[in-house]
Amino acid sequence: MTTKKKTGAGIVITAVVIYLMIPLVFTFLYSLFREWMDILPSSFTLRAYGEIFTDMVFWLSVGRTLIISVVPIGICMTIVLLAMYVIVVYHPEWDKYMKILCTMPYSIQGVILPICVLALYADAPEPFSNRIFMLTSTYCIVVLPYIYQGVRNNLNGMNVKGMLEAAQMLGAGKFYSFFHIIVPNIMNGIVISSMLAMAIVFGDFVVINMLAGNYFPTAQMYVYEIMKKSSQKTCAIIMVLFAVTLLISMFVFLRGADDKKEEKNG
Amino acid sequence: MRNKAYLLAVIPFVMLAGMFEILPVLATIIKSFLPEGGGVGLTLEHYISIFTKPLYVSAVKNSLLISAASAAIGLVVAFAAGKAACERGGRVKKVFMSILNMVSNFSGVPLAFSFIILFGNAGVITILGQKLGIKLLAEFPLYTTWGLMLTYIYFQIPLATLLLIPAFDSIRKEWREAVSIMGGTDRTFWRKVGIPVLLPSLLGTFSTLFANAISAYATAYALLMNNYSILPIRIAEQFKGDIVQRPEFGSALAVILILIMVFSMTVTQHVAKMTGGTAS
Repeated sequence: MTTKKKTGAGIVITAVVIYLMIPLVFTFLYSLFREWMDILPSSFTLRAYGEIFTDMVFWLSVGRTLIISVVPIGICMTIVLLAMYVIVVYHPEWDKYMKILCTMPYSIQGVILPICVLALYADAPEPFSNRIFMLTSTYCIVVLPYIYQGVRNNLNGMNVKGMLEAAQMLGAGKFYSFFHIIVPNIMNGIVISSMLAMAIVFGDFVVINMLAGNYFPTAQMYVYEIMKKSSQKTCAIIMVLFAVTLLISMFVFLRGADDKKEEKNG
Repeated sequence: MRNKAYLLAVIPFVMLAGMFEILPVLATIIKSFLPEGGGVGLTLEHYISIFTKPLYVSAVKNSLLISAASAAIGLVVAFAAGKAACERGGRVKKVFMSILNMVSNFSGVPLAFSFIILFGNAGVITILGQKLGIKLLAEFPLYTTWGLMLTYIYFQIPLATLLLIPAFDSIRKEWREAVSIMGGTDRTFWRKVGIPVLLPSLLGTFSTLFANAISAYATAYALLMNNYSILPIRIAEQFKGDIVQRPEFGSALAVILILIMVFSMTVTQHVAKMTGGTAS
């Protein structure tokens, strides 16, 4: 590859990164200064951060967000892998149905799915009318396409049939071969699609606002409430949430890198 | 019957999809044909009023326009960015991807709010524009179609790029070498090999972006409240909010939105299949 081309690519990447970072950087600066009535802001202060860090309501909302973005993804991944096991090992012809079911949430994303769920189950008996149950199940459907796609793409990229046959020749059961040989091989895809899914749930406002805004106020709901009161505080919360997300992504990213290293060494 | 025990593994999936995907949608479709107030019989009145009342006609129009435009612009930027990322490869690509992943999380309410502090009436860039005498920045119409478009493009770019990078990864070095051995330039490669190979991914990404934008609710809601007519906002207010709730009418609006998305995806899949056929 020529250096000229590399420079060109570097410029494009830099430009996109700058564009994407502008709102973030300004939000961060805004959270640190009391006034911004001129070209440069004035009166540096950490007061906004102090206020939210001592606010129990804030911490609870962050905790709720973490729970609700981890649990449904874990459930969904388990369910998809179990179904995928049946499809890969026994019924490859069923994959087209699974694909339809797993891509359908794309066409009912955003406001549609929570509204359909709400309209159907709001007056249903327990546990269906339980808002947390509704919320968890709806998030499972929301992340389904990303989970499925991640798993499927990785399975397509390897010789599943050959590996299963080899494992069985060596005496491994079908279930064991799938979950101990195939799944570890697609771990990277699982991690990356979970990461994407987590980012989606973490930033979700529409589902939570429609289904359980008052019952299970997440960090996004908290932002929306504070937004009407104080700009500086809102910016501070946005930045804190952002930092939390960053930590999750980094953790997952490092894990992904470790997996790759192991693959290379092994 | 021991050999059929494996079927148990598929039951959780069928239950989840059936109860929280198929059933709610079917119920909504049925509800959209029911008269308001729990009457008996079927009616088309909700659909008729959607296409005759200016408030709802403009909601459909605005939604289509903003979604198509933001998806197209997002795709063009993502193509350049994805291509650049794969050309650089290595650590740059890794860092870039983690930035994209990070930024893709910056959507909805936080995104709308950060655009308010940038371009709003007392926004940072608005003030900057006033001081420096740049009219476009000083008077950027944030609370209009343009402002909404800007925020939509912002969230389209990281998503589109993350979706396209795997496709760029699938382009093999050998293909490029083959083209250059036969005397083709870089441009020939992209025209004759790269873009045809990527076309299904490009179309798929476009439809994902379009669907993503047309169903987006949080950004528009936080930015413009109910003062701007797009479909998701009109739908949501039939179920929740200040005005009188009309679930049957809201269901009809939701069905329209579902139809638009299904239509866009079917067209994309069809085109992808056709081009896939001619390319091979």
